[in-house]
Amino acid sequence: MKQRIARWYAEWLRRRIPPSREVTLDQRRIFIFPTAYGFFFLLVCVLLFLGGINYENNLIIGFSFLLTSLFVNAIMHTFRNLAGLTLAVGEMRPGFAGEQGALQLVIRSSRHAHRSLWLRWPEAALREATVEAFSEVRLWLDCPLPRRGRVRPGRLRIQTRYPLGLLRAWSLVDLDCWCLAWPRPMASQEAPAHGGEEEDTSDRHQRGSEDFEGLRGYVSGDSLRLVDWKSLARGRGLNTKLFTDPVEGRRWLDYDAMPGLDMESRLSRLCFWVLDADRRGAPYGLRLPGTELEPDVGPVQREQALNALALYGSADVQEVS
Amino acid sequence: MARLYQVPQHAFGWLVGGCALASLPHLISGPPWLVALVPSVLLWRVMIQRGRLHMPPRWLRAVLLCSVILATLYSHGTVLGPEAGVTLLVAAFSLKLVEMFTLRDAYVVIVLAYFVLATVFLAFRDALTTLYVIAVLLLITAALVGINQPESGVRPRQHLRVAGGQIAQAIPLMLVLFILVPRIPPLWSLPQDTRGARTGMSDSMSPGQVSRLSLSTELAFRVEFEGALPPPSQRYWRGLTLSWFDGRSWSQAMPSRIPSDFYLYRRRGDPPDWYRQWQALRDGPSYQYRVVMEPTYQQWVFALAAPFSSAPELAVARDFRMVSEGDIREVLAYQVASYPAIPGRVEVPAWEKEFNLRLPEAGNSRARQLARQWRREAGSDRAFVERLLRWFRDEPFYYTLEPPPLGNEPVDEFLFDSRRGFCEHYSSAFTFMLRAAGIPARVVVGYQGGEPSELGGHLLVYQYDAHAWSEAWLPGEGWVALDPTAAVAPERIEFGLREALARLGQNDSLPGFAALRDSALGRQLRYLSDYVTFTWQKWVLGYRQDQQSELLARWLGQLSPLKVAMVLAASGLVIFAVFALWLFFTGRRPPLSWWQQEFWQVRKMLAARQVSVPAGAGPREMARLGSQKCPAAGPALQAWARQYELVVYRMGEGDGPGDELRQRLVSLRRDLKQALRRRQA
Repeated sequence: MKQRIARWYAEWLRRRIPPSREVTLDQRRIFIFPTAYGFFFLLVCVLLFLGGINYENNLIIGFSFLLTSLFVNAIMHTFRNLAGLTLAVGEMRPGFAGEQGALQLVIRSSRHAHRSLWLRWPEAALREATVEAFSEVRLWLDCPLPRRGRVRPGRLRIQTRYPLGLLRAWSLVDLDCWCLAWPRPMASQEAPAHGGEEEDTSDRHQRGSEDFEGLRGYVSGDSLRLVDWKSLARGRGLNTKLFTDPVEGRRWLDYDAMPGLDMESRLSRLCFWVLDADRRGAPYGLRLPGTELEPDVGPVQREQALNALALYGSADVQEVS
Repeated sequence: MARLYQVPQHAFGWLVGGCALASLPHLISGPPWLVALVPSVLLWRVMIQRGRLHMPPRWLRAVLLCSVILATLYSHGTVLGPEAGVTLLVAAFSLKLVEMFTLRDAYVVIVLAYFVLATVFLAFRDALTTLYVIAVLLLITAALVGINQPESGVRPRQHLRVAGGQIAQAIPLMLVLFILVPRIPPLWSLPQDTRGARTGMSDSMSPGQVSRLSLSTELAFRVEFEGALPPPSQRYWRGLTLSWFDGRSWSQAMPSRIPSDFYLYRRRGDPPDWYRQWQALRDGPSYQYRVVMEPTYQQWVFALAAPFSSAPELAVARDFRMVSEGDIREVLAYQVASYPAIPGRVEVPAWEKEFNLRLPEAGNSRARQLARQWRREAGSDRAFVERLLRWFRDEPFYYTLEPPPLGNEPVDEFLFDSRRGFCEHYSSAFTFMLRAAGIPARVVVGYQGGEPSELGGHLLVYQYDAHAWSEAWLPGEGWVALDPTAAVAPERIEFGLREALARLGQNDSLPGFAALRDSALGRQLRYLSDYVTFTWQKWVLGYRQDQQSELLARWLGQLSPLKVAMVLAASGLVIFAVFALWLFFTGRRPPLSWWQQEFWQVRKMLAARQVSVPAGAGPREMARLGSQKCPAAGPALQAWARQYELVVYRMGEGDGPGDELRQRLVSLRRDLKQALRRRQA
């Protein structure tokens, strides 16, 4: 029964507030109800009214009416503090499964200020934001990643009690966004790799100065280990050392090199070795059934490899780049 | 312990200020320990916020709370009732300030602060206090706004602005509620405030009583007439009648076997016969007026003879006066219609005549003898009365506030020896003489006269207008008001006590009057402040059931609860809708920056020369189009456009374009204007 109600509620919400990349909050999407303090406040209004009646004191009666009007007025203001606010999906910061990723939210005010907004994904930490009139705030919201792959964070809860705290206005926004969860890295004795086997390829590279080919200008994404720091110190700018890799030194991390393990364990181990190679600055390639990533090193390579691992097995792997 | 709740720094000032100012009026009349407690606790709270002190431990808080309760018991003898309750409330409220561990506590403090603020009205009700309360309400609301925006770096003034907006927008709805929500009579009786001392009339009159009241320059009540004021000789404000004389003082009494509705009509059930008779006689000239009375903590209300009123809390008495059902603790406003002819026309039953003839068995024998003798000689009651009044006028009687004390036979001593007295001496002796002559008579106490205000045209009746006179039943004339004081000192009736004493050379007998004999400006100011107070009392403090139904009936016609409810709902909705439209649909654009304004000025200049510039065109495009249409202005336009681009594209650089660039752009625009004008010429 409880489940049925929950399912019915989710379905009702989906119809009322359908998922979208950008949502502007309007009266259809905003709910409002007094807070406990609001009820306490109203109780004080009633007490003052009764006191005013019994002491025949018009000023106390007037005061209680003023407080009541403040409450009524706060209904509109609390509502307005959400109304007209535009929420859009911004960038995404992936994380490892079991940890947290983050999603960026762009909160835009098209007219008035929206103050003291509380935002959070289900089961994530609360963030507070204020958007002044005609401005935009970008906010990173933590997003728990329970499993590998694309994780939808669920409905964003945005809530406010501003200005008087007597009422709470909230909305549950289904933003069409996801956070990428890389596999949880898992160590293994032996690298599921071939090519440049046995020995540690990176060591050879460091020693193999004869393979040094030359310098080229630093391009964002080059490994910092390959930056020619000496030339930078001499004031020649940021350059990257180029090495030619011997064919047998190209190291491939291979999904198929781990027979007998299930998919997630294989991906977790590959993830560990990708991170390991990246830490040592050793070039590596990645072979997954149906995908191949040419050997390289650097943050771009690391990200591509991790994304490929994260999305392996999901329908639209091509999206990753 | 969990992390302590920190009141945001930008809200803290408002919170402490609001709490301090909300308690301040209570400290004025509160016990000394409260005066010491509240500021120290506030200071403590400030030190906690600064990190110098800690929150008091639980045991200390418990000790403090117990001591506060004991101290309240010690000061007031109880913890119930408005005074003790307010003392306890203020003390407990201030202690709550050093017990703010969570956000919830902060809310409780603020809601309590509202409550404490409202109770200020138990002791003070004037317009100035109301302004003060609204100002403090603003501070407390600013604190409430502040704790709802806990992020740091907010300017405190922003909260004040937001709170001010909230309160200003709440006022229309408050006014609608105030005017329309039906005033109901008290639901249950509450312990009453005992602070106010009884002022004004007492229910008996012995020599010296009214003259004591005459020393007071306090205001008793104000009267606003519809139409012309009655002449001074008719302004006899009846408060109570005294029918029982014990040889020394007069007091209120009724024969014990008379049922109360023979005497008082409380507006419940069928009216008694005498009241029906009044209603039947209600055809002569009348005065319509509204009285607004200061609280007296007594039940006497004042009106001209034969009053009719719709105020539900007032009962009508058969001796042509009204009386309040309970003591008057608040400003009381009531509408009255008085028919001066009725007392002369009502039938008076024998028991009433007989009752108003009673005198003590013995005493004051000289006066009795003289009265009987003159009555015999006069032949009629009327002739006797005339002779007696003439006697008062012709014999050397003196009107004075400082009469000599009288002994055991006060009437005889006054009439034949001292002959110096105030109105109570004259009315007492006069009534005694009438009764001795066999004429039913009684003493009436109330106020006589009143000073018309130059502002507002209402009548101001002060305590020193207190007066006592007589009323006699004469055959063929009915009840007639007779004022022996008028015979002795006609100035008193015609010009009021102040003027009368001045004419009689007795100014110095009234110390308070020196302040009243003021300059023209002073008088104007007094009238102005009186006018404000009067309006306040009439429309705010005295806005009760009768005035409400009268006002609503004037606006809405026939009244019914449904109609009032509908009007209430409709006006509430209209206000709500107006605000909603205003809040949600006012399309406010971000303000234009100065260079954008420059751009639009030039665009307008070109438009005036019939250069049509498409929407979204930049400065170059605008210059090109303008040059085509008016080539003479071409160079000026080009120069302006270049400068404009220079300004705009340097906006992001360092501190922006600086003043010289701006001045240059402005001067180029002026050149352009001249160039365009030349072309036109």
